[in-house]
Amino acid sequence: MSEDEQKSEFAVEPNEAESINGVDHITSRADLTPYFVNSDHSVNKIHVSKVPQICRTEPCQLGVDEAGRGPVLGPMVYGISYAPLSEKQLLVDLGCADSKTLTEDQRDAIFDKICENDDKMGWAVEVISPNVIANSMYRRSKVTLNEVSMNSAIGLIRRAIEAGVNLAEVYVDTVGKPEKYQAKLKEIFPELKITVAKKADSTYPIVSAASICAKVSRDHALRAWQFREGENENEYGSGYPNDPVTKKWLTQNIDQVFGFPQLVRFSWSTAEKILESSALPVDWEEVNDEESPPNNQKISKFFSKVDTHNKVNRKKHTFFADRCLTNATSL
Amino acid sequence: MAIHLNLKKEILTSEKESVLHLMPCDIHGDEPALVSSYFTPYIRRKDDEHLTTSFRGYPLQGKTITLPKGYTGLVLHESKNAESESLDRNLFATGKFTQFTYWNYDKLPSKNDAVVAALEWIDIAEALHSNDDDVAN
Repeated sequence: MSEDEQKSEFAVEPNEAESINGVDHITSRADLTPYFVNSDHSVNKIHVSKVPQICRTEPCQLGVDEAGRGPVLGPMVYGISYAPLSEKQLLVDLGCADSKTLTEDQRDAIFDKICENDDKMGWAVEVISPNVIANSMYRRSKVTLNEVSMNSAIGLIRRAIEAGVNLAEVYVDTVGKPEKYQAKLKEIFPELKITVAKKADSTYPIVSAASICAKVSRDHALRAWQFREGENENEYGSGYPNDPVTKKWLTQNIDQVFGFPQLVRFSWSTAEKILESSALPVDWEEVNDEESPPNNQKISKFFSKVDTHNKVNRKKHTFFADRCLTNATSL
Repeated sequence: MAIHLNLKKEILTSEKESVLHLMPCDIHGDEPALVSSYFTPYIRRKDDEHLTTSFRGYPLQGKTITLPKGYTGLVLHESKNAESESLDRNLFATGKFTQFTYWNYDKLPSKNDAVVAALEWIDIAEALHSNDDDVAN
């Protein structure tokens, strides 16, 4: 790979406390777009709302849910929301219900109300970059999407505790087997009452609230995507592999060498299949070398006639072999 | 068969250096790549020495490697035409370099990597083949 250009200075790992020009704190839905436009899409981004005083003093419940697990485009977002146990009715009044039954407008309206009630409840999201998802799944020792999900959930609960939330109960929408996940969380947070369930989103209003924060953030983050690859082609649809607009965008935005812009989760089979058929083939070194069978040689080999006359096949010293160095007599 | 290296003086004397990335994978193609739009914008500095980036979703860790003093790297280009083995080959220098970025797949570059270790040979060869007088100096 070569290119004529002046050396450029590379970005330093972002400091989480660093404020991005413009909006660095979300207090309303209008802040979401400028917040995500200015954030670095190739790394994860955590946003934590201010902790209301009542949540420091009164025991609270906290819900955890995710949005954008399935799409081949854009980030996966983990969300938490919390409120005092005494304010259970507030969540019902705000309309926090199964987010699958809500329209986008309804979710936006509830998110607005969650922001307005910042004296009674709080929330946080982690926007997990599609690049980080692909990197995790393509590591030498692979990190599954479930592990990425659980680590994010655990990280957000920790953040809430560190920020001073008086946590008592935690409700989590499960990934994988609920029993296993619950046991894992119980071990990390022994002092909390933890409930991990399937479809917790439709059962517990606090999980619905978390789900709405995650989903509204995901929608805004996807739409606010800024391509560093050049073209700012925004007709990519919902990002779900079965969305015809997304499908069309994927087939029309292939780069022969690099594959796709980093909006795409390269590790998704939809993306892998398209690149397999439409981009240059790429081979990586094998990771599992130990698995190869031992070199079986027949004992008779050592007694057979060997033609030593023509070839003098001198073995290279390991110094050169290790360094892939050979004599250059031709190119 | 002879191999001709065609070097233009302007390339050797020019201040301008080619920016090179040595990738830890085989890309089966030989064509220009949009490095500055797809690759360079995502390179970040991990610490004083190391860099990170991604290629097709794979995590890469890299390091700038400077050539030993007194050496200059050349980028050579050969335009292939349907030639037989007996014909002469022509290689044209299109750029020079004194450093390049070496990338490993999900592994910190170290002295054990073949490319880094191969450069040791230059110092060893120097010690082996120089005159006693030179070594003494």
